[in-house]
Amino acid sequence: MKEIKVENRREGNILSRVFDELNEFCRARSLFILHYCTGCGAIELPPVMTSRFDMERLGVQPMVTPRQADILLITGYVSIKTLKRVMLTYEQMGSPKYVIGICSCTVNGGMYWQSYATAKKLDEYMPVDLYIAGCMPRPEAIISGLRSLIRNIELGESNNWKKYYENYDYYLGNQQKLFGDEWQTPVDVIGEAEHYGLVGEGTYGEHTEILQRVQQPLKPLEMRL
Amino acid sequence: MSEFLFELNMLDSLLLLSAVTVAIAILCRVEYISGGVVTLLYLAQLVVVGMMISAGGVFSSHLTPQLFGYELGWLLDGLGLYFTLITVGSALLATLYMAGEWGRRYREQGKSFRALQSLLALNVFTMQLLLASSDLLSLFISWELASWAAFALMALSGGKGLKAALHYMIYAFSGAMLVFAVVAWIATTAVTAAYQLDINGAGILQFSSVAELMQQGIFTIPEQLLMLTLLLIGFGIKMGLLPFHLWQAPAYALSIGPAGAFLGAISSRLGLFAIIVVLFKIFGSITDGSILQSSFGFEFASVTPKTLLAWIAVATIIFPTFVAMRQNDARHLLAWHGIGQGGYMLLGLVMMDSLGSAGGLLHVFNHATYQAALFLAVTSVIYRTGTADLNRLGGLVVRMPLSFMTLLIGIIGLAGLPPMNGFVSKWLVYRSLLDQGELLLFVGAVIGTLGTILSVYKLIHNMFLGSLRKEHEEVREVSWSMLTPMLILSALILLTGLFPGIPLQWVAQGLSAVGLPVAEFNLGGVMADGGSLDMVIVSMVLFSGFGVAALIFYFVGGKSKRVNPLDNYAGGHFLYASNRYHYSNNFYAGLMHLIKPWYKNTFQRLERVVVTLLELTAESLSRLYMRPHSNQLALIIVVLLLW
Ligand code: SF4
Repeated sequence: MKEIKVENRREGNILSRVFDELNEFCRARSLFILHYCTGCGAIELPPVMTSRFDMERLGVQPMVTPRQADILLITGYVSIKTLKRVMLTYEQMGSPKYVIGICSCTVNGGMYWQSYATAKKLDEYMPVDLYIAGCMPRPEAIISGLRSLIRNIELGESNNWKKYYENYDYYLGNQQKLFGDEWQTPVDVIGEAEHYGLVGEGTYGEHTEILQRVQQPLKPLEMRL
Repeated sequence: MSEFLFELNMLDSLLLLSAVTVAIAILCRVEYISGGVVTLLYLAQLVVVGMMISAGGVFSSHLTPQLFGYELGWLLDGLGLYFTLITVGSALLATLYMAGEWGRRYREQGKSFRALQSLLALNVFTMQLLLASSDLLSLFISWELASWAAFALMALSGGKGLKAALHYMIYAFSGAMLVFAVVAWIATTAVTAAYQLDINGAGILQFSSVAELMQQGIFTIPEQLLMLTLLLIGFGIKMGLLPFHLWQAPAYALSIGPAGAFLGAISSRLGLFAIIVVLFKIFGSITDGSILQSSFGFEFASVTPKTLLAWIAVATIIFPTFVAMRQNDARHLLAWHGIGQGGYMLLGLVMMDSLGSAGGLLHVFNHATYQAALFLAVTSVIYRTGTADLNRLGGLVVRMPLSFMTLLIGIIGLAGLPPMNGFVSKWLVYRSLLDQGELLLFVGAVIGTLGTILSVYKLIHNMFLGSLRKEHEEVREVSWSMLTPMLILSALILLTGLFPGIPLQWVAQGLSAVGLPVAEFNLGGVMADGGSLDMVIVSMVLFSGFGVAALIFYFVGGKSKRVNPLDNYAGGHFLYASNRYHYSNNFYAGLMHLIKPWYKNTFQRLERVVVTLLELTAESLSRLYMRPHSNQLALIIVVLLLW
């Protein structure tokens, strides 16, 4: 039997609840995706975007930069070299952000399971909101995946992006295992966690200590008179 | 002597002050004092001009020398006053700019600050003489003086600048010859006509008397059209009207920073001034309307001088603007725009209705403000970084934020977008084009504006946006002595954009001085049937839009965060300072791919053809008189001529 989703938020006063709901209602209807086309699955995106399946009727549109994007779409196997770029792109996206892993390869490595060059499970490196499995999934599957993401956002249940800040040490550790201890991006994730007030138990740890030792921070340029 | 001084009226004192400024600039050997003193003298001149404007009316000078039996006179009316105001104002700000640190560095480089300053003052003086001329002879004499002064100021930069200045001189000479030919033609005919018409022979060359001659039909219509053409070419050369525009951009771009700002702001507008005088003071009052409306005497009557001039103006807008888009040097880019913007002024004026002429004349003021601001901002960048090459700058906004602000305000004005002043004048010109049903001209003008917007974006992006170069890490903002005039100009651009009524008041005086209709206006804009313009409302709407965005951005949430430019998206690539992520070379590659076939350097080729033809004639003539028996040949020619 189909499970019926039940609204589970009952905190806060009515005004802030109305505001939150309005916020999520709007957010769910205007999603920009940054499609990081890594593997063969990317070939299914053109039909999704164009007139046959037309994802724009759901309010979903492609976007060219991570700063304005809401959804990061990983469309297939991720080689280790590519994963570095994917990590940078993910960290550059503004919160709230959602990750969709398309294709079986993102779930468990798929047919590249034995390859030395691919990262197997995407959610070891970044929190994934939704997987669309299949080798490769049909456009209908992608559309229905997008719909369920939209529903989750509307119900306020897609908060995985917070996990990245709260458990940064875990994700960073996995990244360091693949890329080596020198690994870093220009994005100051810990600083952002503090900025957003999302510091959790797993934010700091042994891996972030390594990072802080090797990191060469990129300070924003000061406006100077 | 005291009696004589007592009798000085305001125009006399203005000219005297101006002459004193020149003298002090030449004589004062202590260069760091002369900067301040000369600035103060310009300020005094500006005060006099302001007093004259508020007094209104016509001022005639006591300076009335006789030359070849003609009486020369100087007389300043509303039109001349308007241009004088802009001239003195831009000279004041340019001098203020170079009075402090800029001038010190200039002297330390071993260059003569005195020469620069005195030539600038000389330019102002000769331009004032020109703007106050009241007859053809004084117009011609001061025209020549102003041309030479401008040449000297351009040539001062030496090297390539000298070459460009010589280029200018050749054009200016040919133009002056054409003007002189017409003056001589009118003068010889007028003397006989003066007896018939019973006009005072000494004052026969005054604009009003010449207009009278034209009206009396002393010259036939084709003769008048010929005169008009010669004069328009002669003065149009100074203005950079197509196809005589080639000299202007390099000449202005390569002259010394603040001098370039002054020249770019007002110098070439003298051509426009002279054209207004010719069109509306001399030929304006021909029986049944204006000569501009008359057909050429053949039967395809729709082609009148007016439509022809309007199309030349539109060509002057479009071609130089798109040439500007291809420039890779900030000063050249701006100088090419200077030519294009001249087209809007002429276009508005030849429309001859109240909105168009107000727009055209107002654009002179607006253009002066933003062009001077832009040139000064670019000069500041050159002062700090040593280059204006658009491919070797970038990201300077974090180091020179106030120069960036000036440039930003300036380019919005140049592009003619609200709420800056350039929008008002362009709106007036557009309205008049639409009112008169000149849709094609309108489309042409809009294409020009499109080119302007594209190229000014290139300007600001390549200099100030994008990533900062390593060698510019330590660049600082320029000193306050240089910032002050830039900020004054920015404030002027904003203020006259918000309250266009202020400059429109001077424009109205100018228009009524030449007998053009004056539009109804108030402080905030212009009233016209079928839609008026109120800049206060326009600006309010605009700023409330920005205001809402700013409110959300800065106050609601407060989650914005500054990042380093290297923390940027390049398809996932990591960016390093050694490998810049700043797209400046081959800007607008896609657009250029589409419109490249249109760039054919036609005018350069045309110029080369003329030069080659001249060289050929000179060569063959020299063959004639360099021959061994040239004396016999000379004899034959003399005999033939006598016969
Ligand atoms: S799941 Fe299949 S289609 Fe998708 S990336 Fe892997 S191999 Fe390619």
